[in-house]
Amino acid sequence: MVLPHLETFNPPQQRPSPTSLGTNFNHPSRIIQVPSSSQNGTLSLIEDLLESIVDALSSGEELVIPYASVRSLQDGAVATLNRRDARAVDYVRFPGRTVQEAKKFEALFRIIELSHEALLSGNLITKRNIYYQDPDLFRSQSAVDDMVDNLAFTLGVGREDLNIVAAAKGLVSGPIDLILHDGSIHSCDIPGDTGMLLPSVSSIQKIDFRATRWLLVIEKEATFRTLAASGYYRNSQAGHGIIITAKGFPDLATRRFICILHSMRPDLAIFALVDYDPHGVAILRTYKYGSQRLDHEMNAATPQLRWLGILSDDILLNVDTERHESQDYSQSQPSQEANLNVSDSQNERPIKRVRVTKAKAPSESILPLTRRDRKRAVEVMKEISVAGTIGVDGPDQVQELQRMLMLNIKAEIQAVDNHGDIADWLDEKLRV
Amino acid sequence: MALAAPVMRMASSSAFLPKILPTTLFSTSRIQIYAQQFSLPLLPSLTLAVPVGFQLGLPSLPSILEGIWESILKAVPKKKTSHMKKRHRQMAGKALKDVTSLCKCPACGEIKRMHYLCPHCAATHPAEIFSLAPTPTSLLSASGSSALRVHSTTDPSFPLQQTIPNAHKLGCHHICTARGGLGNVAASVGFGGEIKIWRLGPSSSDEKRNEWQLEWELPPSKTNGGDVWAVALSADEEYLACTTSDGRIHVWEIGTREKIQTYETGARGGGSFAMAVDLSRDGRLTASGHESGAVYVFNNDAGRMVYSLSGLAKPVRAVAFSPGCKRLAAAGNAGIIALYDMEHGEHVGNLTTPSGRPAWITSLDWNDAGEYLLSGSLDGKVKVWDVARGACVATHSETESALWSVRWLPKTERALGPGMAKSEMFCAAGASRSLTFYREATGS
Repeated sequence: MVLPHLETFNPPQQRPSPTSLGTNFNHPSRIIQVPSSSQNGTLSLIEDLLESIVDALSSGEELVIPYASVRSLQDGAVATLNRRDARAVDYVRFPGRTVQEAKKFEALFRIIELSHEALLSGNLITKRNIYYQDPDLFRSQSAVDDMVDNLAFTLGVGREDLNIVAAAKGLVSGPIDLILHDGSIHSCDIPGDTGMLLPSVSSIQKIDFRATRWLLVIEKEATFRTLAASGYYRNSQAGHGIIITAKGFPDLATRRFICILHSMRPDLAIFALVDYDPHGVAILRTYKYGSQRLDHEMNAATPQLRWLGILSDDILLNVDTERHESQDYSQSQPSQEANLNVSDSQNERPIKRVRVTKAKAPSESILPLTRRDRKRAVEVMKEISVAGTIGVDGPDQVQELQRMLMLNIKAEIQAVDNHGDIADWLDEKLRV
Repeated sequence: MALAAPVMRMASSSAFLPKILPTTLFSTSRIQIYAQQFSLPLLPSLTLAVPVGFQLGLPSLPSILEGIWESILKAVPKKKTSHMKKRHRQMAGKALKDVTSLCKCPACGEIKRMHYLCPHCAATHPAEIFSLAPTPTSLLSASGSSALRVHSTTDPSFPLQQTIPNAHKLGCHHICTARGGLGNVAASVGFGGEIKIWRLGPSSSDEKRNEWQLEWELPPSKTNGGDVWAVALSADEEYLACTTSDGRIHVWEIGTREKIQTYETGARGGGSFAMAVDLSRDGRLTASGHESGAVYVFNNDAGRMVYSLSGLAKPVRAVAFSPGCKRLAAAGNAGIIALYDMEHGEHVGNLTTPSGRPAWITSLDWNDAGEYLLSGSLDGKVKVWDVARGACVATHSETESALWSVRWLPKTERALGPGMAKSEMFCAAGASRSLTFYREATGS
């Protein structure tokens, strides 16, 4: 009974700044329309496909679905930068030459049918849902995932254009409002809350950005939750911001969402906070340049993302402020300051000065790389060297990886926080 | 004892060059006297300026004095040279003169300032330098970029002799030459795990010039299990020792290209990551430093471990035999250098500074006489240790960024160019992407 009352009363005590209600008045709404993606094209593509199958059925011909695999292409042509053009179309036929092919045809047909239905009704269907439509037919979730991605790849559209999505994984928190197509308003700024599940990008109509100035993408859910719970997006010294996590490797929906945010507000500074290990770099690269497997997906990468941390300097030069008194005989200092001392100390008295030296020593919370980490680091470096011209900051990532290998160390985000409170560190970094 | 003063620094930009002079001056003791003399004329105004504080605090001071104080306050010398002043000097013919002392760089042919480093040659590496390997006449450097570079050490301008492009696609983390050897063979290891053996031979285009050529490449697949990390060459340039991430040490014979020995430091592939390796100059011993803090010494003749030294407890990043093969120095994250006797395998001493938290030591090197030990650390400091006294005799901190490698240049009867004294020299390189050469200070 007391709870609702507490919820409305507590926040003002926690923060000196005006809370959600207050800021809503202070910062006028800044509603931006989400650029709409045309789905009619996809619908007609699918209808053409279904039509051709029906035609073939009525005329008694072999049933054919064009189907190109993302994977097979990758093995053959890794270096082709423009893979969209190099799409080699294969076909799945019915009646197939093998039992597998017949099954594959059935499964693929089922997905197309479900996608068609979803497109017609305007609803979204999750990949998990597709699997549960006929677990016996699909056998495994990963088979569905592969088939959906390959279908989208073959048709030359994004997975989302088929109205098929993955279950939401990303979390968002910040003083923004998401206005969905059905008119409902989702505020991402609920005091004490630890983030809202990202809705699908295609269901968002408008976003009210208010006074947000930055966007921070965080690798770890734990760090995200701490920051969200403490309302860092509001009391940061860098102004209001948005924080997002995809809990590890980013899924398509999260990457899309970040990309959409960037296209709506190009002035929004986007930062990434990842672990200092090869996986962290790989995650950063996925946010920035997209993943290799889903390279055909459009609008899923944000090259403007900046690597906020953790970098080797943050760990190695973990500044330990040591104060120690030293007897400075000013003779040894040819600076202006020393001259003052000379004038003071004409009575031959050495001056005691408290000198603050910053001892730069590696942080305590570092771990050695495992053999798998080292292998992964080399793999990521190879990826970067193949990508070559794509990433402007490839050299920076290579440098960090090389340092990692040289020192054989890694560190988690927690290495830079102050007993669980990373806010101070972020304040310093975001200010720049 | 001012053992070494930085003589030159090879930086990647020419704008850096004018800074060399002050750096050089400051490391001598003379400048401090200078500075003090300079400060004397300032004294009266400053001592007088002190009571101003009282005047502000006590308004009851005689009003006649007020004007004086004010004028004195305004008489503080200005630091900035005004435009008018500068113009006046220019009109009077006292402005900065044009630089006419230019010459052609003997190495690359570009125009450079006389007596200064050639900025084109000095643009050393586009990435951090991870390792250095000196030969009697040159210095090889390996960096995070794909190319290896060779600088001549017989000329005071250290011109770039050769660039080996695409040596290691993902960058190179270790390069070594034989200490005390002829310097005709070098081995380098890339981040991809491949070892390349280079040999100095007559160039294909110009018979008179010697160039480094690839002799042999060891792909990562040949060193079964574990990535290759550190390498060392024996003094006779016959054997190559390399460590792996699973704690093994492989010894290869370069002539026959065969693996002749594998030392295990843990139960089948479970050894701690071997981060450093060294071969003694007499070829008798092999030492390896491990992540676990252990240092192992192997007898090459018997093919077995002779000493297991575990004094450091923290990861060991560098091991080095003394030229006489009597001592072994090991250092790493502990920030101290441990010295071991190689006759009985005893810990004979530590080299430490009394500072609170010493930085990680990344590189160690003995000079040819075995008198001094050089150490480079992650905080950018190069230290020269007098081994007999067990004390640090010189510290240089030209850079704040990490140093990855420090090496003495071998003292030889090399054909010295003008301006090259026969003093000992060393070189340091690291995250600053430049090579910094130091030489023993003479005449003081």
